[in-house]
Amino acid sequence: MPSRHSFPAALSICKLQYNSSFSLSIEQLHSQFLQPFSIYTASVSNPGTDMPAFSARRHSPSSDPTSETRVAVTPRKSRLRSDPDAAIASPLRKSPRLCKEGSPNSSPKIEVIRKCLKSSLNLSGSPEKKQLSEDFVERQTWDPREETQLRAVNEALHLSTAPPNVVCRENEKNQILDFCSKCVKEEKAGSLYVCGCPGTGKTLSMEKVKVMLVDWANKEGVQPPDVLSINCTTLANMSEIFSKVSSEIVFSTFTWHEDDVSVILVVADELDYLITKDRSVLHDLFMLTTMPFSRCILLGVANAIDLADMFIPKLQSLNCKPMVITFCAYSKDQIINILQERLKALPYTVFQPQALELCARKVAAASGDMRKALAVCRSAIEMLIGESMLSSVDGTEDQQKPAANNMTSNQVRIHHVAAALSKVYKSPVVDTIISLPQHQQIILCSAVKLFREGKKGTTLGELNKYYVDVCKSTMIPPVGILELSSMCRVLDDQGILKLGQSREDKLRRVTLNVDGADIVFALQGVRFFRNCLK
Amino acid sequence: MAETQQMKKFKTPSKGTPRAKHPISLDHHIAPQTPQSATPSAINLRRSHRLTAATPEHRPALSSFNTPKSAAKTRKICEDPPSILPTETSINPASPPPVESRKKRKFQEKSAEKRKDSRNVKCKRAADRKVKKKVYHKKVVYDGGEFSAGHDVYVKRRSDASSDDEDPEVEECRVCFKPAGRRVLIECDDCLNGFHLKCLKPPLKAVPDGDWVCCYCVARKNGEVMEFPEPQAGKKRARTAREKLLSSDLWAARIESLWKEVDGTYWFRARWYIIPEETAVGRQPHNLRRELYRTNDFADVEMESTIRHCFVMSPREFANAADGGDDVFLCEYEYEVQWHSFKRIAEIDSNENDGEKVVDNDADWNSCDESDSGSDFNSEEEAAYENEKRNRLSQSSSLRPVAANSRKGQIFGLQKIGAKKIPENLRSRKQTDLEKAKSTLLLATVPKSLTCRDREMNEITTFIKGAICDEQCLGRCLYVHGVPGTGKTMSVLAVMRNLKSEVDAGSIRPYCFVEINGLKLASPENIYSVIYEGLTGHRVGWKKALNLLNARFSDENKCRKDTRPCILLIDELDLLVTRNQAVLYNILDWPTRPNSKLIVIGIANTMDLPEKLLPRISSRMGIQRLCFGPYNFQQLQEIISSRLKGIDAFEKVAIEFASRKVAAVSGDARRALEICRRAAEVADYRAKKTALSSSDASGKVMAGMADVEAAIKEMFQAPHIQVIRSCSKLSKIFLAAMVYELYKTGIGETTFEKLAMVVSSFCANNGETFPGYDTLLKVGCKLGECRLLLCEPGTRHKLQKLQLNYPNDDVTFALKDSKDLPWLAKYI
Repeated sequence: MPSRHSFPAALSICKLQYNSSFSLSIEQLHSQFLQPFSIYTASVSNPGTDMPAFSARRHSPSSDPTSETRVAVTPRKSRLRSDPDAAIASPLRKSPRLCKEGSPNSSPKIEVIRKCLKSSLNLSGSPEKKQLSEDFVERQTWDPREETQLRAVNEALHLSTAPPNVVCRENEKNQILDFCSKCVKEEKAGSLYVCGCPGTGKTLSMEKVKVMLVDWANKEGVQPPDVLSINCTTLANMSEIFSKVSSEIVFSTFTWHEDDVSVILVVADELDYLITKDRSVLHDLFMLTTMPFSRCILLGVANAIDLADMFIPKLQSLNCKPMVITFCAYSKDQIINILQERLKALPYTVFQPQALELCARKVAAASGDMRKALAVCRSAIEMLIGESMLSSVDGTEDQQKPAANNMTSNQVRIHHVAAALSKVYKSPVVDTIISLPQHQQIILCSAVKLFREGKKGTTLGELNKYYVDVCKSTMIPPVGILELSSMCRVLDDQGILKLGQSREDKLRRVTLNVDGADIVFALQGVRFFRNCLK
Repeated sequence: MAETQQMKKFKTPSKGTPRAKHPISLDHHIAPQTPQSATPSAINLRRSHRLTAATPEHRPALSSFNTPKSAAKTRKICEDPPSILPTETSINPASPPPVESRKKRKFQEKSAEKRKDSRNVKCKRAADRKVKKKVYHKKVVYDGGEFSAGHDVYVKRRSDASSDDEDPEVEECRVCFKPAGRRVLIECDDCLNGFHLKCLKPPLKAVPDGDWVCCYCVARKNGEVMEFPEPQAGKKRARTAREKLLSSDLWAARIESLWKEVDGTYWFRARWYIIPEETAVGRQPHNLRRELYRTNDFADVEMESTIRHCFVMSPREFANAADGGDDVFLCEYEYEVQWHSFKRIAEIDSNENDGEKVVDNDADWNSCDESDSGSDFNSEEEAAYENEKRNRLSQSSSLRPVAANSRKGQIFGLQKIGAKKIPENLRSRKQTDLEKAKSTLLLATVPKSLTCRDREMNEITTFIKGAICDEQCLGRCLYVHGVPGTGKTMSVLAVMRNLKSEVDAGSIRPYCFVEINGLKLASPENIYSVIYEGLTGHRVGWKKALNLLNARFSDENKCRKDTRPCILLIDELDLLVTRNQAVLYNILDWPTRPNSKLIVIGIANTMDLPEKLLPRISSRMGIQRLCFGPYNFQQLQEIISSRLKGIDAFEKVAIEFASRKVAAVSGDARRALEICRRAAEVADYRAKKTALSSSDASGKVMAGMADVEAAIKEMFQAPHIQVIRSCSKLSKIFLAAMVYELYKTGIGETTFEKLAMVVSSFCANNGETFPGYDTLLKVGCKLGECRLLLCEPGTRHKLQKLQLNYPNDDVTFALKDSKDLPWLAKYI
């Protein structure tokens, strides 16, 4: 195999080496990747004449981008067709089971998951469930009053502790790993875009993939890639990302001997922070992977599904459509699974299985955000501690409780989780309205009356009229309009009213931000308002 | 670092000056002195005898550079009895008294009962005899020690602290608890404890070269637990003054000037030293164990509260002080208390002119002189004599204008500014209850106790404690929200104060606390540099700070030097929301990183801020919320009455009335306090008026319902009513016509043309002269300018549309009973 580095490439790298400043601009990056390309286009302009001198080179990945990308980077549209690769690439649908049963190459790990899922699905009466709960009983009892145990539990459930193995994301992880390892093995560029809701384990999987990729490379005897991970929010300036990438490149070229230029793996978290008005930064970033000699694997992570679509028209013409992997929101079973995985390391049971299930069901129904689920679990533990503190203060005779009772009392039960969940998901509107000062309640009351007539919005002056009317009818001295507008601002802060912008205070647009029925419900308790609202 | 740390290998037992049982004060200055002031105590006698032999040798040398007049005087003194000779020699007319001492000043700050009973009765008498004025001294012998300007002393921190009573001057061995005696104490470079060479395990033969760390510290560093041996039962380990100072039970100060008050007590102006823990940045890893900072903070301290000398040295001196005893400290930097900044003292000194150098030269020359002056330099009088001589010399050298100015400006300048004190007796008039009430109701007054927010404060306390008491210190986030004036910031700060006192007491680990107000940031991004400055004391640009903070909070492998947990309080969090919300994302992302040890508390008014943010940010924010609801009237009442506790100025109903009124509208405690303060002012005014008119101020005036009512009216009543009532006749007609027109048509707006018709008909019917369109237009514009009307912008043409900016009822109310235009009422 001839040296992969033709003269121009070496030249450009030399150029780089002599470039004293590390902050290379995008142009220099381009020049590095582009120069060989220009030669090739000149020489292989006629596809029919396959020059023998270049035939060997064509095996080198970047010289023939089209044939390679078709395999690795599955275009999004064609995924729907019956392509064996596409089945892997397809994201998880509603139920993970359906996907996995269809896929021919399901790993033993997946089998394990399936078992776990089944067991947690059929909690109502399958033998597996009994086995599971017995497993719990065998464990030591947990005393929430003991410092070290509590600390261990809190640590296990904290966001910052990454679990040793990422469950429920094997499929996605393997896909990313396959993609990366293929790119590394063939030493060619590629881009991949990972999207999904917050708290679905994107960044966590990426961290794992990075480690696994290096491990894999060492095992295979391939030059391990240089990993550069950037969180785009930490960039002071959008185009700073290029200087980071180029400094990485320069660094690797300094330590470069003859053949082994390693591949650079760029992991850009929160990619959508790079969106500028003309989208040039993001575009240039993806363009890095299209250069023929580039050895840059770009993994972008963001929330938006359509981020890659914005560039498809442009990038398609350049034949670098990024592969897209979607991280779905966690389902109930997955959440249970992950929570159990985190708690497995502890030698004692902390949660009743039902409590965990309640938490998982609620969170999965609302957002599927794992961070939320963990937060709920932690606050449920806090509730349990508060309760046990209270009971220990109350009396000492409680200590003589039977052991079985004691064991369950030391576990987080359903009502703890329910209380924690209500803290998160319960709408505080009614409570807030009840605790408002009287005049603000009158404002809300008059607003409800006003909007009953079918209007959607009104102005502050109009509202004042209604307010004065209500006040007069109940013999309460009204406050002035300046005071009224400041009260409306307070209500706006609390998210009950919505105030529009206007030059004149009087003409500011007022709309209700909560349901009118909520207000009526909250104010019904007061007899004073019951008459008003009739 | 190593070079400076090496300095103090040996620990000789610190030699404190022997103490006389009865404090003696020697007046070494031009103050006319009674011979008795040098009461011949045993020590004095002994020393003075010794000195008599020495004095003749001194005379010629001294007089050789004295002015003839002063020489004559010394000679005259020589004829005095030998017992008082030493003191008298120091009365040197060649050293002119500082300018300040000639100024008459009355300091009342010292109360008589603080004075020690029988101290210096004679001195006092002497002082009484002369004119009442402060006398400055070069040197004071007090309580057996000899103090002069430029010395460093320990100062008692609290007069009541019992721990300050015993003051072991001799350090004990940390293992056997016996004083050093003849054996050598070796000092550990880490914990500063002293050890006998024999007591160590294994015992040391000789003092090793280089740094030496005791086995206890080595064990602690290796993670083992190795306790120091406990003293025998019933015995308490005596803490040395150095230990107390470094654990901030004592203070150290530098004496800038000394004087005798008119009542005979001795005072000095102290320039404080502080230990690194007391600076804003806390102890940094590069701080030496014995490092102090000189501050720019001065105070007048009575000599009574000093303990004894300590020795604060520059790094060069410190390195040479191999066995200076236990009271040696290092001071390299000056700390500015107001700006929390450090400056190398050497740089400050080099900025001064060469006057300093001249003095140095003198000192050198002087020391040459000393060499032949006798061997017994330790003797008190001898030292006094030498010192006096040096003072005189430096004084004479500082007659050079430049040097003198710089010197004086530095030492006495601040005193001059502070001298304009208003004598206490001028404002000793007892404050009335109303005045006291006014001052306690000010918003700036911090209440002694916080009422009505116990639940919330408990929650905050458990939140913070749960985070920082852990060894692991997992990052957390708390969002505090609530309407303005419900005590959000105050509660959090009160919790932090309590925690601070717990840290001082040692029950929880130290942490660093950074408080940021979003309103005070020039731009949201600036928060990075503010945080970084709060954590490390370095000021960098925000981009660099962002990188540094990222590295700080995300490094999991590298063991950070500063492992204290960090509490970040961000007030007005909603102001940090930028267009792409990157600032909030970063701040809320850090706590989720491993080992970040960051706790974020955000405060804002908006209830639904997390929901308004991007989902990825609210996901990181967690679910910890704390809501501060508006106060109800009982709570407001409690807040006001707890502030007014002990002051009988308000009727109870008045407080209730005010709190009910506020609770009905906003529940804002600030406003309730303002109303009450205003009511107190109204009542005070009333009281003074009655006192003036009836001259017998017998009846006690309390703020009642009427005053509160007046205050509320002032506060709640909108200003526009006042404006309408006080505007011109034509404007009133104009407004009345406007109301009339709007009422008649039922539409919200009208044109100027139509309005002019109405006005002219008004005028015609009621015998007024119609002023003409131009004037009317001008009136309309004026009303538009003061925002009573909303005019169409720009053009003043007839067809411009007009709107009332305030409700019709308000205008009607204001115009109804106008005196000059009674006929307006019938149109309204």
